Amino acid sequence: MAGPPGAGDRTVTRTTSGRLSRPGLAWRVAVTLAVVGLAVNGSVRGNDVQWPFAPMSQFACGVDLDGQIRSTYIEADTTAGTTVRVPLTAGGVGLGRAEVEGQLPRLVADPALLQSIAVAAARRHPGWPRYTKLRLRQEVSDLRGGEVVSTRTERLADWTVVDPTGLR
Amino acid sequence: MRTWFAGTVPARRIAVLRTVIYLFVVVDVLRIGNDPLAHGDVPANLYRPILLRSWLHLPAPSHDYVRVLLGLLVVSALVAATGRLPRLAGWVCLLALLDWMSNNYSYSKIDHDQFALVLALAVLPTAGPARWRDGDEIRSEAAGWAVRMVQVGVVCCYFLSAVSKMRFGGWGWANGAIFTWAFTRRGTAPTDLLLSVPGLVHLMQWVVLVAEFCSPALLVVRGRLLWAGLAFFATFHLMTYLTIRIHFLPLVVCLTAFLPLERLVPHRLLTSSSAVRRQAAPAQAAAS
Repeated sequence: MAGPPGAGDRTVTRTTSGRLSRPGLAWRVAVTLAVVGLAVNGSVRGNDVQWPFAPMSQFACGVDLDGQIRSTYIEADTTAGTTVRVPLTAGGVGLGRAEVEGQLPRLVADPALLQSIAVAAARRHPGWPRYTKLRLRQEVSDLRGGEVVSTRTERLADWTVVDPTGLR
Repeated sequence: MRTWFAGTVPARRIAVLRTVIYLFVVVDVLRIGNDPLAHGDVPANLYRPILLRSWLHLPAPSHDYVRVLLGLLVVSALVAATGRLPRLAGWVCLLALLDWMSNNYSYSKIDHDQFALVLALAVLPTAGPARWRDGDEIRSEAAGWAVRMVQVGVVCCYFLSAVSKMRFGGWGWANGAIFTWAFTRRGTAPTDLLLSVPGLVHLMQWVVLVAEFCSPALLVVRGRLLWAGLAFFATFHLMTYLTIRIHFLPLVVCLTAFLPLERLVPHRLLTSSSAVRRQAAPAQAAAS
């Protein structure tokens, strides 16, 4: 096995047909440089909407050793009289927790958007009791020296679902 | 320069790589990156299209749209995995995956683990015909470039992850509490154990950062060093899966582009007659 693919193989190339023409090589080199350039640009100064040339930023955020860890969740009252944790997954309401967190400022500014969470749940799981009230919350863990020392809940938004039994 | 960008590799390596990559695409869209299917049921006021979708005027995902797209993706990937119609099936698969993944990322959460896979789908159609039974003597530079591009995509993911950490987390990223953050949000029994060892997560953060910055070496080193590098990253991905249930499988699959995949094919399957017949064919068609 070799760094340059195949360079470590002992078989000598004996097909001249395997050789690229000059234009064939030229466009490939140009594409390589363009892809690397766009990818570097994405991570150095781009933003998420430029995907596939977006920053490779998963787990790139800095977390202060004496800072906070925030974890978002939604709690719901249902037509069955129960209170449940809304499953923020693809298999649950169709949106993941990180996606809800990505839209958090919108959801806090306009809690009516939470209606869409109730609609998505009704569409994806017609057999579930419908959500009647949604409470958007964050669990906040305080860090000291990088260790969690306390945990509390913060209220972000509440929404009373419109026409819960007629959702579709 | 020619040797680095497009050194010849056995056409059989591309045939095996195609099978691995395209079969993974089927698994990926059905089992792993299947959020787009669920997005079809989410009301459009939570849809925040990325630029690619806006430019291509792709619609907000709907229940039926995502199902038709899924069918197209699976069929094109299965055809491409067999090595038949490598260009037609390959390009259709690429376009369908771009629609699928841009849907995935149009609800305000972008992942970067699919970058190398998307790049692989973009270059595999250019590598020309290749069969599992092709003999060692059938080699091509077009295939070599495709393999090299997948490798470059993998290294971009690692190296630019480190760059992004410096951009968003600052030079103190590795001295911060990012792993504690991840473990607290996505904790499992092993994460509690890791957090209980003083200094361990701090050390792990440094190891990851240094390894990511050193990843371009994968494009240069050979032999045992290369194997060691690949083993390190494979182990790293296994660890993140065991601890926080994040596996980066689309990237792991692309690590196979560093391997001499042609050796997976039993020698008895190679037909010298087909090799002779197709000797002149494979890369010539792709050379344009």
